[in-house]
Amino acid sequence: MAYSDKVIDHYNNPRNVGSMPKDDPKVGTGMVGAPECGDVMRLQIRVNPETQVIEDAKFKTFGCGSAIASSSLATEWVKGRTVEDALHIKNTDIVRELSLPPVKIHCSVLAEDAIKAAIGDWKRKQGADEAQASAATASAKE
Amino acid sequence: MSVSSVASPACWNCGAPPGGGHFCIGCGKIQPLAAADGYFAFFGLPEKLDLDAADLDRRYLALSWKLHPDNFVRAEEFERNLSLDRSSVLNDAYRVLRDPVSRAEYLLARHGVRKEGQTKQQAPPELLEEVFELNESLEELRAARLSGDAAESAALGKRLEAAGRNFQAKLAEVDAELAAAFREWDAALDRSAGEDERARLMARMNEILNRRSYIRNLVAGVTHELDGAPDA
Repeated sequence: MAYSDKVIDHYNNPRNVGSMPKDDPKVGTGMVGAPECGDVMRLQIRVNPETQVIEDAKFKTFGCGSAIASSSLATEWVKGRTVEDALHIKNTDIVRELSLPPVKIHCSVLAEDAIKAAIGDWKRKQGADEAQASAATASAKE
Repeated sequence: MSVSSVASPACWNCGAPPGGGHFCIGCGKIQPLAAADGYFAFFGLPEKLDLDAADLDRRYLALSWKLHPDNFVRAEEFERNLSLDRSSVLNDAYRVLRDPVSRAEYLLARHGVRKEGQTKQQAPPELLEEVFELNESLEELRAARLSGDAAESAALGKRLEAAGRNFQAKLAEVDAELAAAFREWDAALDRSAGEDERARLMARMNEILNRRSYIRNLVAGVTHELDGAPDA
């Protein structure tokens, strides 16, 4: 099976490879994997708390070329979008952009899951922060 | 004894009612494969997972002898083809059922619990973390080897060996878990457990198999890396 030019491009020049501090409250981390093929993908976003815009995204993927290309593309696409907007990225968009064959569709599903997981993690942190903040104000009132 | 409840057609030769076996119960002629027959039924076995390997071997040998195309050289082309069909299914069925993992995967696929590349199956987060870290170590080791940093390579090699042992132990653990799940499944069949319980047991086996496939990949990755070491 031949990879499309876009997959090869992302594979040879992956965008936004790297990591961000997991404990940073502005950073959301999504770690997902496909047990069937043994792939594992980590996608991280850094969100501006005022604007809710994803200002930076990093990924690291251990897996096949399509998995790497899908996550590389995902980081490109989430950057500059608001969190809510990024949730609308569908795996089918990734399939189309990279011309993934049917056997590699699960790679795009993984990338979509990684975006959702990263945003979910970030949202949890915001919730936790608010809870902490209100707990702090509550104890301050006592 | 047949476990298949799906009606096969009557015998093509004598019209006797289907016996579910490889040969007609009336005239003894070889029968076409019924689409619904599975690998277990092919061997005349119930869909139990903790199967006796020696018993399977015996059944395999007996059937290969009976179904072998050499027995049909003077038969009609139709019968010769049936012998070829059945012999080829026999080999597939034996290969799949002989190995415990492929046997379980087959059972789950047959019941629609496991579909390659379609169902979303999440691994437990702590395993993903571990998998990720190990992959990073593997990558570092490769990089150190490429740059020819012997001291760094040796240190990483040690770390990988430890990780390899850890994952080997995990693999053994998962295999024990799988074996226990097999016995539970067989016991559930014995007492004709309901759909819900079967579904629950199959879901659990599926989860165990997913974890296993991750760990097996890791073990393979570590072994490959350590074997490829020039002086590890």
